[in-house]
Amino acid sequence: MSKLDSLAARAVLPTGILLAIATPIWLWLVLQAPLDSVQGVVQKIVYVHPPCAFAAYLGFACTAIGGALYLWRRDEAWDRFAASSAEVGVLFCALVIATGPLWARGTWGRWWSWDLRLTLTLLLFLVYLSYLLLRGFTEGNERTARFAAVYGIAGLAIIPLNYFAIELAGGRSIHPENLQRGSLGAGMRAPFWFGVLTALLAFAHLLARRIELAWLGDRAARDAAAAEEAASWGT
Amino acid sequence: MTVLLAVLWKDLLVEWRSRDRIAAMGVFAVLVVVIFQFAAPPGSAPESRGHLPGLLWVAWVFSAVLGLNRSFALELENDAWAGLALAPAERGWIYLGKVLASLALLGAVQLVSAIAFALAFDVPLGGVAGPLAAVAALGAVGVTALGTLFAAVAARTQYREVMLPLLLLPLLVPVLLGAVRATAALLEPQPLPWPPIRLLLVTDAVFLIVSFVCFEYVLDE
Amino acid sequence: MSGAAIEARGLARRFGPVVALHPLDLDVPAGRVLAVVGPNGAGKSTLIRLLAGLGRPSAGRVAIGGDGGDRRARRARVGLVAHATLLYPPLTARENLIFAGRLFGVADPSRRAGELLERFELGAVAERRVGGFSRGTAQRVAIARALMHEPALLLLDEPFTGLDPRAAALLEALVRSLAGRHTVVFTSHDLPLAARLADQGLLLVGGRGRPLERAVLADPAALAAAIGQPAAEPR
Repeated sequence: MSKLDSLAARAVLPTGILLAIATPIWLWLVLQAPLDSVQGVVQKIVYVHPPCAFAAYLGFACTAIGGALYLWRRDEAWDRFAASSAEVGVLFCALVIATGPLWARGTWGRWWSWDLRLTLTLLLFLVYLSYLLLRGFTEGNERTARFAAVYGIAGLAIIPLNYFAIELAGGRSIHPENLQRGSLGAGMRAPFWFGVLTALLAFAHLLARRIELAWLGDRAARDAAAAEEAASWGT
Repeated sequence: MTVLLAVLWKDLLVEWRSRDRIAAMGVFAVLVVVIFQFAAPPGSAPESRGHLPGLLWVAWVFSAVLGLNRSFALELENDAWAGLALAPAERGWIYLGKVLASLALLGAVQLVSAIAFALAFDVPLGGVAGPLAAVAALGAVGVTALGTLFAAVAARTQYREVMLPLLLLPLLVPVLLGAVRATAALLEPQPLPWPPIRLLLVTDAVFLIVSFVCFEYVLDE
Repeated sequence: MSGAAIEARGLARRFGPVVALHPLDLDVPAGRVLAVVGPNGAGKSTLIRLLAGLGRPSAGRVAIGGDGGDRRARRARVGLVAHATLLYPPLTARENLIFAGRLFGVADPSRRAGELLERFELGAVAERRVGGFSRGTAQRVAIARALMHEPALLLLDEPFTGLDPRAAALLEALVRSLAGRHTVVFTSHDLPLAARLADQGLLLVGGRGRPLERAVLADPAALAAAIGQPAAEPR
């Protein structure tokens, strides 16, 4: 068992406990948060939508970096890390894409707008999907790992390029003001950042579980293959 | 460098013998232009003409995908793949040779379909031929640079013809946006704007470098 | 050119959970001819391709001519004749050879191609497209292709399969002429042939390898006994 795999296995319980503690606190904070004067209760999606986006982008960074480390080290554990990160990350990415329209409809009256951040995340989602499809349709563990790593690296390189491309196409217009500029009113910062923390905890916990599962699956397959080979010898 | 030229020569020679890739690409691009003509509303209001640069690039991108799908087709026969993988040279040169070969084919197709496009939609391209060619080339480099890498990847997956566009298209957004913006400006007509060209140049450079390095890992067994 | 010695320690190859080649130790002095024998699916092709440097070993290492396991350096010194011909059907025999020469950095590919075409009696078909060749003729071109860059190590995977008697005789003569100056490794089902041509043997069964003396190759009874024994553990 590689060090990475054992780290993941040991992280399952602590992250799970922390998540179990954080989630009700977060919920309480969200319910307690003041209503936005302009957007009303819909604005509370800010406690879900951007935190999930953090996790989605972190997930892809992990996928790409895990892949690069696999190519460098040729340690299967890095490939498990990359693959698991993609599976968990795509979930959070889907959440961002799903909550975006809800927020947009509630505030601007439109289900979708091709604004910068949402489009960027949609493109990330498509890259995630293609990555997972590539893994699914390639035969051979080593080849799959290599191809996926290459695609992950290309996908990561594309994110800054996409940012500038969409900006060029005038995609800045509608998205809510950047948080750094203090658009979050009083009493909203705590639930927001706690939401980010909770999302990252959820990501870490799911990732740890998924890696553990992948490792167990690989070991089971290896044992089965070894057993079959031994059986074919009649020993 | 010799390796690059050797691969380029081999690909072009093979293409010359059968001409199947370029025929398919050319016919497809022209077909797309013609079909769009029928898809456009009658009377051709000025608003809908704003979509024309995008249509042209869609035709070019899908035609390129068609050609790229066949880029490694011969390598899959007779395990010629191993023949390339055994070469002692830096594998990136093999990659570049393939890119140049695909570029040559795509360039020819772009030329023919641009003429068809100009005729079908009554767009005067004569005055902007030079800058348009530059934009077409920059966009083509972006498409074939990443496309060749993924063609090599897709060739060894199941459903390879579907796999290539699935892998490639989500990553072509910067190329498409830059190229279409620049083309649209040229058709206004306006002088060539710098921001989309800059985007194309940066994207092309990133694609070429990433692919050059990663091809090493793709060519292995 | 005196051939390149092969040294392998714990060389193994896994494809996901399946072990194609169990850890193998191998020593072939320079200029020797090694015959790898064994039933189908025993891992002979896997071994040949590992020696050629086509894939990374899953474990262990192999060095050719003291190259320290550097696969890129090895490729310049290895020629491979695989199951498939590695040829391009739309190109002529001469063009295929010249292309291979250029890929391998041969100084004057045209002249060298001409030499090899003559040596393998391919003059009559030199300007014909390979796509139309019979298996035997194509195989001869494939062997010529492998020799374009005068490799120190020549690897042949089932080279005699599908050859007509004349081509087989040509190939046997070739291997004999190469021995001493080049190291040759070939796989075969034909045990008497292997015994005739080889200096030493390697028996591969179920991915496990065991060296064989030349005398054992020639003696069916000794060979059967060797198959029956359990394989020795690698050092």
